[in-house]
This record gives sequence, C-alpha cells and structure tokens, in this order.
Amino acid sequence: MTSKTVNQIALALVVLMALVLPLFVRSATYLHILILVYLYAYLTTSWNLVGGFAGVLPLGHSAFIGIGAYTSTILSLQYGISPWIGMLVGGVLATAAGVLIGLPTFKMRGAYFALATIAFGEGIRVMVENIDKLGPFNLNGPRGLQIPPRDTGLANYMFANKEPYYYIILVMLIGVIGLTYWISRSKLGYALNAGGEEPEAAMALGVNVARAKLIAMAMSSFLTALAGTFYAQLTLYIHPKSIISLDFSFEIAFIALIGGRGSIAGPVLGALLLRPVSDFSRIYFGATLPGMHLIIFGTVLVLVMIFQPRGIQEPLTRAYQYLINRFLGKTARES
Amino acid sequence: MQLLEVRDMSKDFGGLRAVDKLTLSIEKGQILGLIGPNGAGKSTAFNCIAGVFPPSAGEVFFDGVKINGYKPWNLCKQGLARTFQIVKPFASKSVLYNVMVGSFATTEKLAVSREKALDVLRSLNFEDKKDVRAGNLTIADRKRLEIARALATEPKLLLLDEVMAGLRPSEVDEMVKIIQTLRKRGITVFVIEHIMRAIMALSDRIVVIHFGKKIAEGTPEDVARDEKVIKAYLGEEYGVS
Repeated sequence: MTSKTVNQIALALVVLMALVLPLFVRSATYLHILILVYLYAYLTTSWNLVGGFAGVLPLGHSAFIGIGAYTSTILSLQYGISPWIGMLVGGVLATAAGVLIGLPTFKMRGAYFALATIAFGEGIRVMVENIDKLGPFNLNGPRGLQIPPRDTGLANYMFANKEPYYYIILVMLIGVIGLTYWISRSKLGYALNAGGEEPEAAMALGVNVARAKLIAMAMSSFLTALAGTFYAQLTLYIHPKSIISLDFSFEIAFIALIGGRGSIAGPVLGALLLRPVSDFSRIYFGATLPGMHLIIFGTVLVLVMIFQPRGIQEPLTRAYQYLINRFLGKTARES
Repeated sequence: MQLLEVRDMSKDFGGLRAVDKLTLSIEKGQILGLIGPNGAGKSTAFNCIAGVFPPSAGEVFFDGVKINGYKPWNLCKQGLARTFQIVKPFASKSVLYNVMVGSFATTEKLAVSREKALDVLRSLNFEDKKDVRAGNLTIADRKRLEIARALATEPKLLLLDEVMAGLRPSEVDEMVKIIQTLRKRGITVFVIEHIMRAIMALSDRIVVIHFGKKIAEGTPEDVARDEKVIKAYLGEEYGVS
C-alpha cells in the first residue's frame, strides 16, 4: 500500500463521515453550527483563490456575499424567480464587480491593496444602506429584506429543517475544494503562486501576472456570491450590516490566516477550529460574560500567529504524514 | 543571422540618461559579453531589451521582429529569457516547482511541464536538489536555479545578468562550463559579468559601456588591449597581455 492509496482512503472516510453526520447529530443547534463551519470553510476556500494563491490580502469579500444574497433575494421576492437561478445571476454580477475592482487594485501591493478592497466592501454596504430603491429593484435600505417562509422544497431553496441546508453547503464545499485542488495543479495555479511571490520573476518566465490574478478574482467572487444566496436562504433575512459587514470579510481572512493561506486544507482546518470556538464560547459565555467569545477568538488568533505563522495546517500536515509513515512502517519520510 | 539587434537605444530616468544610443547585435549561437563599471547602465540595457520598461528611444529587434514595448511574458514566449542580478526565487516552493513555472511557458499540461523541468534539472546536474525549498539554497544554487528556470522556457536567447557574482572561484569555473554547454545546445547567450576571468573565457565578442555609452567592442583580446577600456574599467593588469 502506498501513501497515495492511504490518502485516498482517508479522504473517502472523511467525506463519508460528513455525509452520515446528520444521522447522529439530531440537535438543530449543532447542525446549524456545522452548517456555519462548512459555510465559512467554503467562503474561505473561495477567498483563498485570491488571498492565498495570488498572495494578496483582499478584505472586501463581504461585498460579493452581499451581491449574491441581494440579487437572488430580490429576483425571488419581486419576480418569483427561483433562488437557484438568482444564485447564478448573483454570481455573474459578482464576477463583474470582482473584475472591476481587480483591474485598478491589483497594481497595488501589500497593505494598499487590502485598504482598497476594504473601501470597496464598505462602499457597497453604505450604498445599499442608503438606497431604498435602485431602479425597479427594491433594496429596502438599512431595514433589509425578509424572505417570507412560503412553500418549502428544493425548487424554492427553502426547507423546514436543517438537513437539506447541510447537504447543499457540503456539496458546495466539496466542489470548491475540488476546484482548488485542480487549480493548484494547473498552469494557472503555478502562475498565481509564482506571481504572488515574485511578480517580476514570474513575468520574466512568461506569466501574465495581472491576467492570472484577474481570473482568480473572477472565480473567487463568483463562488463567494453563491454562498451569499445560500446564507440568505438559510437565515431568510438579510440586511446590509449583517451580510456586507467588514466582520464577515475579516473573519474569512482570519480563518485563512489561522488555517494556512495558500494551502488547500488550511481554510477547512481554520473554519473547523475557529467557528466552534466562536459559537460555543458565545453559547456558554454569551449570557454571563458578553464579548467573551471575541476575546477567546482574538487570543487563539494571536497564539497561532506567534507560534504557527504559516497556519495550523503545517504542523497538522506533518503530524498526519508522520502517522501515515508509522502506519505503513516506513522510517524515512516520503515527500 | 542576427538574433538580437539593438539600434541607438536610449533610456532616460528623469534627467538621467542611463543608456545612451547603445547599438549592438548578437549573431545566432554566439556568446556576447556586456561589461562596464558599476552604474554603467548594463542592467538598464538588459531591462529595456527584456521588456521590464520600454526604451526611451531607439529600436530593439529580436529574431527579425521589433520588440520595443513588448511585455516580459510575451518576450518569454517568443524565446527571450533572462535571469536577475538579484536572484528572485519563489522561496517557499521547491526547486522543481520553480523550474516548472518556467516550463509552463510552452505547455498547458502539468505532466509535460514536470518532465521538461526534470530534463532541465538533469542537464544542469541539479536533479538531486529538486525537492529542496528554493529559500534554503546556497547562493550558487540560487544562481543555478535562475538559469534552470530561464532554460525551462526554451529560450533562443538567454540574458544572464551577473550569474557569477558572489560565487567562489571553483563555482565560477562550474558556471562557465554550464554556460558553454548552453551554447552547444544552440542557445545564444548575452551575458553581463564583472568577473573578468569568466567573461574573457566565455565571450566571442565583448561590448564595453561606460556612463551608458558604448566605448569599445570586439574580441576579448581586442577589448582587453583597448586604451579607453583600460582607463575606464579594467585596470593595468589586463592591459599587459
């Protein structure tokens, strides 16, 4: 048995476990926490295409979540179009927005790029907050939009219990991880990594760095918008502060930093660590010590940044490799 | 046939003329050396040719095509590759990964790119280090990695910017051998170098620039005897022979 086969078996086991998990987790609260873990893992993996591979730090991804959520919700509320179709329309709109923001900002480096994307996200939020009607579309300003729980069912993207949401976001997560894996082994992945690390050298080696980044941004914003629709259908209520907020953008970046930017497992591991920390500390300390969950969240972030600046995926990957090698009875480490 | 032809190329940075009406050409299969004191404009001339920035005046022809204002990635695909004086490895990635970025210039497929990269590494006796992180390499190996990456793009013309600076004498000898094998593979080489021993041994012809202007051109022997060159740069010890 080679380590490759073991990897495949381990991966299959994890997927299988995720598939049967709702049979054992009967509590709606815990299932909701799991859904949020997957949602954030999905968002962060989408973000990682730009923030990890392309080596820049976008902090305005909540704008794409907002575009996705508002597009599908407005289309469904005002025109009765299925959120599934609205989700794709939102994705296309977000792609256009992503390319438009990427064109001028990808020339900037480091903090300037991050600041520009924050301005972009905040700009969109302020606009939505102050616009009640955009042409024929009813944005309803700061009050947000409520999706009345009508007919549940797959076609309406609305369900009475949590399980369907769990499976939808699980499928989306598996899809986006598969896409990331494929990109990391493609010409585009090499171009993004190279361009992120040493743009001049990458250009001299035939990489059109700006174009590669734009492609990554387009994909990232499209995928992020899909999650916006999912979030809207999950909570059935969206308003600018909740869905286009900086908190959303920051938390995605935190998860990526803690999990490990630019790796495939990093965003998932980061979400698995941080989301439960955030949720459970809110559950247990929320009443007695308000704000405690944020302190815990911040402490975890600081500790990981000090001791594992490349994220928790690195020691975990090493540990996994070690276990595999022990299991296969090898002494030398195989790369 | 001339593979590279530079005609009256100038480059201004504000009021400073870094390169002044430089004219030179390289025949296919030749090794041309470009020397000059520090700040003479060698790297600027390279950057203009390689498309980092366009020349302010003059023309550059590569393989019969005027390439003024072409972007580096397009030039690379047409067969013009370069290394950097200050090495720029993708430090967090393995040597093989670094070289594969180069070999992806001519293919879309991962497996093909990988094979080509391994071929290049083998030809440079570098294969044993393929899994080493580029950030952990010695300076000599980093310079070699620069060449390996550039070679992986399958260039017709290779611009080498001080690939021997900072190397020990034994490493210089090895690098000279590597560059000579490049020529045997049919690659034309344009090399900037400060180490006289190396450039004298390597070059078919040498161009000397000083304050952005060409002050001499010829075989290594001619250049070494040239009064102006000696004054500007070489010092007496090369003037005797």
